[in-house]
Amino acid sequence: MVGTVSLSTKNREQKSELRTGNALLGLLPIAAGLGIATLMHFFLPGLIGQFYARIVTDIGITIVLAVSLNIVNGMTGQFSIGHAGFMTLGGYTAATITYYGSMFLWDSAGKHGGFLGSGEWLFIASCVAGGLFAAFAGYIVGLPSLRLRGDYLAIVTLGFGEIVRVILQQTGKTIDDVEDFKNAGWAQLIPPPVGGAVGFDGVPKYTNLFWVYAVLTITIVVAYRLKGSSLGRAMISVREDEIAAQAMGVNISRQKVLAFVMAAFFAGVAGGLFAHERGVIISPKDAGFQRSFDYVIMTVLGGRGSITGVTLAAVLLTALPEMLRDFEQYRLIVYALLLIFMMLVRPQGLLGIHEIWNFWQRPKSSVKSASPEAQV
Amino acid sequence: MSDFAQTLITAIAIGSLYALIALGYTMVYGILKFINFAHSDIVVLGAWSSYTLASRILPKLGLNPHNPESVPPIWVAAVVLLAAMVFCGAVGFTIERLAYRPLRRAPRLNVLITAIGVSLLLQNVGQLDYVFGASPQKMPPLLPSWELASFTFGEGETARRLVIGLVDVVIFATATSLMLMMQYLVFHTKLGVAMRAVSFNTDTAALMGIPVDRVVSFTFVLGSTLAAAAGFLYVMKYPGMNQPAHTIWVLLGLKAFVAAVIGGIGNVRGAVLGGFVIAFVEQFGAFYISTNYRDVYVFTLLIVILLVKPSGLLGSPLREKV
Amino acid sequence: MSPPATTSSAVQSADALLDVDQIGISFGGLKAVQNFSLKLPRSGLFGLIGPNGAGKTTVFNLLTGVYRPDCGQIRLGSTQLGRGKPHEITAAGIARTFQNIRLFPNLTVLDNVRLAGQLRNSRGLLDTVLRTRGYHQEENGLREKALNLLEIFELQDRAEELASNLSYGHQRKLEIIRALATDPKVLLLDEPAAGLNPQEKRMLAHSIQQIRDRFQVAVLLIEHDMPLVMEICERIVVLDHGVTICEGVPSEIQNDPRVIAAYLGGGLEEN
Repeated sequence: MVGTVSLSTKNREQKSELRTGNALLGLLPIAAGLGIATLMHFFLPGLIGQFYARIVTDIGITIVLAVSLNIVNGMTGQFSIGHAGFMTLGGYTAATITYYGSMFLWDSAGKHGGFLGSGEWLFIASCVAGGLFAAFAGYIVGLPSLRLRGDYLAIVTLGFGEIVRVILQQTGKTIDDVEDFKNAGWAQLIPPPVGGAVGFDGVPKYTNLFWVYAVLTITIVVAYRLKGSSLGRAMISVREDEIAAQAMGVNISRQKVLAFVMAAFFAGVAGGLFAHERGVIISPKDAGFQRSFDYVIMTVLGGRGSITGVTLAAVLLTALPEMLRDFEQYRLIVYALLLIFMMLVRPQGLLGIHEIWNFWQRPKSSVKSASPEAQV
Repeated sequence: MSDFAQTLITAIAIGSLYALIALGYTMVYGILKFINFAHSDIVVLGAWSSYTLASRILPKLGLNPHNPESVPPIWVAAVVLLAAMVFCGAVGFTIERLAYRPLRRAPRLNVLITAIGVSLLLQNVGQLDYVFGASPQKMPPLLPSWELASFTFGEGETARRLVIGLVDVVIFATATSLMLMMQYLVFHTKLGVAMRAVSFNTDTAALMGIPVDRVVSFTFVLGSTLAAAAGFLYVMKYPGMNQPAHTIWVLLGLKAFVAAVIGGIGNVRGAVLGGFVIAFVEQFGAFYISTNYRDVYVFTLLIVILLVKPSGLLGSPLREKV
Repeated sequence: MSPPATTSSAVQSADALLDVDQIGISFGGLKAVQNFSLKLPRSGLFGLIGPNGAGKTTVFNLLTGVYRPDCGQIRLGSTQLGRGKPHEITAAGIARTFQNIRLFPNLTVLDNVRLAGQLRNSRGLLDTVLRTRGYHQEENGLREKALNLLEIFELQDRAEELASNLSYGHQRKLEIIRALATDPKVLLLDEPAAGLNPQEKRMLAHSIQQIRDRFQVAVLLIEHDMPLVMEICERIVVLDHGVTICEGVPSEIQNDPRVIAAYLGGGLEEN
């Protein structure tokens, strides 16, 4: 069976093309994404109108959330249903920084500066801070995953989202007067007054197509590069078989926590974008499980592990309800039936673990088709 | 003192409800090894079908369902309870048959996702205008608002009254007798032996000639009827009913699930114990610390238990599972 | 090949590569393995046999950290392994295959091997995301190493296929390749011949010896196929009910009445 092992002692001639790269080349796709984001920002609203531009913005944020959740649920095979908790935590953190930060810096919570102006830099820095805070929470929530099997973990993450919701509901009224804010003592500012159950109103509306699609670009590039790398393979091996993964030297605890932290980070950044979006008042109920379920449905539908599949599902499930407003009452019924139907008929999701272009690359049995991880 | 006693009474009544619901989670988990997310929606179904039935029956008896003073004869409550149990049992049977049975050999995660799907489906179908609707309702009174016992502590300004209401006693008595019937069924009947065998090892049980499919169906029917009873009793205690997809229902179910986990999932007695533990933590936490965080206590307890003793209070490697 | 006719002490030199001293574990009240000891020399090829349920796989699970031994010591070279986590033990140099094949079914053959090869990979998240030069060098190295291994075992043509699409025999082979990709010092093979036909078994026997020589690994083999074990193993340990009932060279084992009793006279009659 093992064939004659006595084979080729000669060194293989290097038949696979070796890929050398440098960091500069590695930044190319990100630069391209930023270029597209800039073009979208300046021309898309003119082309399709504000209403549809708003939907395109929503879609961008949703993709970031779905693709990041997919790192935990799809690649690593854990089952988090508290993703909206991380999003909301990041959103509130970011909104607190811009809202009170603007008051502190510029004596007003309103927008400051134009495109790429100082206000926007504060905004994006606050989103990153929100991401980091969410990542920290992800680390805390990821810890039980080391000891818990899939479905228990689901309950813990669900409980996490609910805890975030309840805690945010207890926060005080926002301070909307600059003088009051400047005179307020620490006792009034800690914990930060972020509006309680009614939500955090008055957050400057910085979110625009450029920033959303810039963040989206980075999210997708990171997720994609992760998937094709050693780190990503280690995550996937955890999903496939934990015992075998350990036996192959994979530190499964580290992979699970890493997945949680990364997913939470991007969810937190997306939360920042969401909190600063025009027409949105982020509120505690955004942390609830209903919103988390939306993202779970997208990962299940798109294919657990498939970045393009999940992106596609996020686009469809965000755009369709917007297009069909009367459909609202039936939206979740259809989602529910889709979930049940998929599990019965195609449990691996529409694209399974594949990316959309894999379907053109068949047949795969030839060695010539080189490595599956094309360079992004 | 009286506040303590009053909290204790509420905790016992609510605890017996959590225990009833937790039994459904624990039985299904014991046999099929997945969290039946839709179980809490069966509780909702029990509550709302009770409401629908009661508000149809009462006018026929010449009573105004919206008048809290008009209390129907006691048999009405019994009929409504039984009808809700039968209806929910049938729904539980159907769900298992259509959604879960085809996935008997599928990975557990897939079944869990299906359960979430079923849960979403029940919630949102329930919210349709021509089903239960999306607005809160008030459950008509089916039990007289008797105070079975009433004590007064202290005098004058600081006087506190301790009341044991009929509702609390009915809840506790109904729940306890149902649980005792369950105990008898699981540990002293042939069917119970079959359930425990299937729970221990499905394949071996099948080889021994146990009709696994029928046992699983029966487990779902049993769990669903208990859930329906819990739903009915819950709205007897708290007549202000939220719409079917309201968070409060999901939280009710979640807490019951947490009760099952804390007691040791798969363990019938553990579920009952866990139900009371949860209710005590929740009620006393709300009373002594703050009502606002009552949901937080329960989940914190869950996380602590899972980290310290993941098999739960009564769980052990050689536990008696159902 | 015939086993060395010498007895015990010559092989059990003090500088054994893998030195297992009196390990044991019980589950509930059941003592699954008791006082198990083994001295596996560098490049040794030992067998571990015993009736079903004797605790052979449990020994493997103890050696690889899947279970933590209740008592006893495990030493590999100069490192004390004792209570290490499975991935740490793999990194220290003990690799295994599984009785019931545990490949990563949705990864390609190449990825299965690459995954095992990457355990000493030092590239972190930042390198991965930025695709630095160091990252590319390391990934290319992994790929080369994996392809080399696949070529040695004549599986290179199936490199891009999903592991689940391989035939049963090839899957067993891939398990061995994957274990070797972790650069082990000790290779634990759990019933590698299960389900193979006689001709495949003969080739396997040959291969195991060659793997030992070519990769410089010590091999501990669990196997039910007695002719195979007797043919290639230098020494054999016999377990029954978690207890070592006998240890020695194949000729000693074959004639030991305790072994024959343990197998109820069956299993060995093929000899």
